[in-house]
Amino acid sequence: MARPIDPDQQLFERGVFVRLTGVDAGYGPATVLVGLDFEVRSGEVAIITGPAAAGKTTLTHLLRLALIPRAGRAVILGVDAARSRPAARARVKRRIGYVGENPVFVEHWSAFDNIAMPLKMTGMKAADYEPDVRELVDFVGLGGASDLAVEKLSGAERRRAALARALAGKPNLILADDPTAGMSPGDGRRIVRLLGEMRRVGAAVVIATQDETLADCAPMNRWRIERGRLTPVDEGAPAEAYE
Amino acid sequence: MRNALTGVERALFWTLAFAAFAAAAAGLAARAVDHATSGYERARSGYAIVRVLAPDGEAGLEAARAALQHAPHVTSAEPMTTGRAAELLAQWGGSRVSAADMPQLRLIEIDLAPSPPRTDVSGDIVAALAQGGVTAQVIEAPDQGGGGWAGRMRMMAFWGSIAFALVMAVIISLGARSLAARRRELVTVMTDLGATRGQAAGRIADEAAILGLYAGAVGGALAGLIAISLLFVATPGMNVETLRQMILPVDFAPILAAPFIAALAAGAGARAAAGYFHGQAARLG
Repeated sequence: MARPIDPDQQLFERGVFVRLTGVDAGYGPATVLVGLDFEVRSGEVAIITGPAAAGKTTLTHLLRLALIPRAGRAVILGVDAARSRPAARARVKRRIGYVGENPVFVEHWSAFDNIAMPLKMTGMKAADYEPDVRELVDFVGLGGASDLAVEKLSGAERRRAALARALAGKPNLILADDPTAGMSPGDGRRIVRLLGEMRRVGAAVVIATQDETLADCAPMNRWRIERGRLTPVDEGAPAEAYE
Repeated sequence: MRNALTGVERALFWTLAFAAFAAAAAGLAARAVDHATSGYERARSGYAIVRVLAPDGEAGLEAARAALQHAPHVTSAEPMTTGRAAELLAQWGGSRVSAADMPQLRLIEIDLAPSPPRTDVSGDIVAALAQGGVTAQVIEAPDQGGGGWAGRMRMMAFWGSIAFALVMAVIISLGARSLAARRRELVTVMTDLGATRGQAAGRIADEAAILGLYAGAVGGALAGLIAISLLFVATPGMNVETLRQMILPVDFAPILAAPFIAALAAGAGARAAAGYFHGQAARLG
């Protein structure tokens, strides 16, 4: 018997990795996000800028399926956030790379071990994932600090480690919440460029930040969030301009 | 285990080990009570007194003694002297009794071989005595089945040790929750990376169970060593050979059960706590 066609899964197969339609979300009695319409496709980078407490972090929580919408529909990587079961949400989370505002690590483990976590969780052996993780460590510029316990890393190094961990599982969707906080402008721009590079492997990237100048680092769809309402901003320069 | 036995976890390990030790010690104490009550019951049911009614006098006692040599169940028979009677009376009455004040007794103390349940031991002995021309009465300890104080003691010790072990298991389980709290960041990371509740909680539960297993083994072994030391100190003439004869395989049950119960309790406690932390990390708002 043929399986029924899942329209949400079809949406994903057509390259729509995120689609929010009229979404409200919040914590407890407070509604933070109101009537959100948002879409990100495979190979796209979306940058969401806005002032503090505008709802950027809440939006990333929504996109990483940690927050369930109160109204509207949120389809993330082919799964309806509100209607899916916890196990299905967990499966989708494995395909999301998340760099939180305050990344959580196993502090007494080395950065390397933390970065390797997504691969360890798939059952890969150390010998199989070690070269990939070393490459990621170089990619994000963590260098020798990767062998230190995370509790000994600086704020910028923690963010690099979080970024490497987010990329380790080769995710379809990458979410970065204020990824350049605490970094020098140069380092911040480099990190955003690295994130932008992920579009080349077909990932969708969403960056939430207060720093509007970061939108100039790579070709991105620009969005503005204020008081929980998200609006598209005029298109940035074409991709070729950044090559 | 590399991380489990550092810092706070080391303290947790010894807490679990102590709880396992206490549970195993309670189990061993229950076994000791069982041994003691069984010994008492064996002694009690292996003894009776024959009261010679006829023939009268010394002749009756001699005839009864001769008949008892061939009576079923009887392993030895000894007329009760006045000195022995005075000694027994002093034990029961609490004050000294002079043997000279005692009348001539027509009582014979007999030791009995173990017999199957519902055997009419008294009837068999009375019949054997009658064949020897003696009319007698056999006074056995009343049959109390499982309802005597020995049986009650045994049951109290058994259920008491079970209840105590359960309390210790709860303590181990609560202790293991602190391990889950120490691993909360790992649960959060795993949750963010897409681990299900079962995967995240299972990872922590496994670690706690291994900790519980080792702690239980240490606690159980310690309880066993102390129990054996106490036996040597408290039992006159105890040596390895008598110890081997005294100890039954079931006596090892509390020691062998300690690691497994500790592992189960620790695993269950840690799983519950880690599952809760997973739920908190997985779903905000």
